[in-house]
Amino acid sequence: MLLGLQAGACGIPFTPVIGLLNSDYLKIRPDFKVMKDPYTGNDYVVVPPIVPDVAVIHAFMGDRTGAVITDNFRNDRLLAMAAKKTIAVVEKLLEPDEVTAGKFGVYVSSFHVDAVVVAPRGAHPTGCRGVYPLDRAHMAEYMSAAKEEGSFQSYLEKYILGPENHEQYLELVGSGGAR
Amino acid sequence: MTNAAIHPFETMIVVISRLVKNGEMAATGTLSPIPAAALLLAKQTHAPDLVAMIYGDPGLRITDGLHEFFGLAHRGLLDLFFLSGIQIDRRGNINLSVIGDYEKPKVRLPGGAGTNMLSMMAKRIILFTIVHNARLFVPQVDFVNARSADDSIPWRRGTLSHVVTPMARMKYDDRNNAIVLDATYPGHSVTDVCAVTGFDLGVEGRDIPQIDPITGEELSILRGDVVAKLREIYPLFCDMVWGAV
Repeated sequence: MLLGLQAGACGIPFTPVIGLLNSDYLKIRPDFKVMKDPYTGNDYVVVPPIVPDVAVIHAFMGDRTGAVITDNFRNDRLLAMAAKKTIAVVEKLLEPDEVTAGKFGVYVSSFHVDAVVVAPRGAHPTGCRGVYPLDRAHMAEYMSAAKEEGSFQSYLEKYILGPENHEQYLELVGSGGAR
Repeated sequence: MTNAAIHPFETMIVVISRLVKNGEMAATGTLSPIPAAALLLAKQTHAPDLVAMIYGDPGLRITDGLHEFFGLAHRGLLDLFFLSGIQIDRRGNINLSVIGDYEKPKVRLPGGAGTNMLSMMAKRIILFTIVHNARLFVPQVDFVNARSADDSIPWRRGTLSHVVTPMARMKYDDRNNAIVLDATYPGHSVTDVCAVTGFDLGVEGRDIPQIDPITGEELSILRGDVVAKLREIYPLFCDMVWGAV
């Protein structure tokens, strides 16, 4: 998948991938083909590029030009580069000169970002590294609610459809905003 | 805490740690607290020159997340990686996609992610599972995300090395292309292990030892420095096994 995104990010028509040969993936994915490497003669699986219509990524910070800083354990920069449109949700909005990668960050140029949405604690109930941890109690509540259709609907109504905006959501989940 | 009974996951951590060789370049992926702890323990005991890349370790300075990890594997730089499965069969095939028919599954799972590539490109693989039963160890997996060995692919680098569960250590016998029992843990007999494994573990005519007892040194390093470091990476797992701090 990462190589598919890499091909998407670079505008390459298809890409060989390492792996997948002789696996059941080839039975369920007619778009995965086996091709002979013209240089070595070895067989490889090739896949089409992945070009998402829209990517939504979470970032530590961003500026009004669209530049953002993402987590270096993730491949959000690759995703932003592959997608047709990218929306970045940021913890805080800063001046362009202040948007620097730091210890855990990766600079994503404004060329790859179409919209920046400022939403402190916007990754909730998951965490944002170095900013706030995973909300364990809320995750447990979600996991329990997600087991059945009825309880999942109640969860949606309470937390997603109910609040009129992000501030109301944060109030409801009991944090009172960024901490 | 030092006098507490040994948790099955602690046994697994020690067993995996002993399989790690000094000087190897090893990495762990997502949701892998047991192998991560094993690498930390190995590095503090017999493998000081181990290079341990633990995904999620805040001390790990990288730029491109798993894309970067996978690139190292592609290039043949990873000696050891750790994988798991929802079904594993005698041949060492791994399933992480579906239980039942692919089109009409009983359970649909998140899928294999990098499992297939890593199984081929790391020089050796250790599989770890947090349960040991016949629903996991099946005669034949419902979907093959990855194979444990495949001589027909010239560029494939690695094969399965061992399988470590809460009851036993198994190994991959590459002459017979099969997973066989290698050693049991205290409290689990060979008969017990075979009874909860859905395929033949090749024990007939073989003397299967029990693992060497876990030493006081291994346990104190594990419960000391290793857990302290692991809490930075896997806090929920650490709370579950060693209690909250």
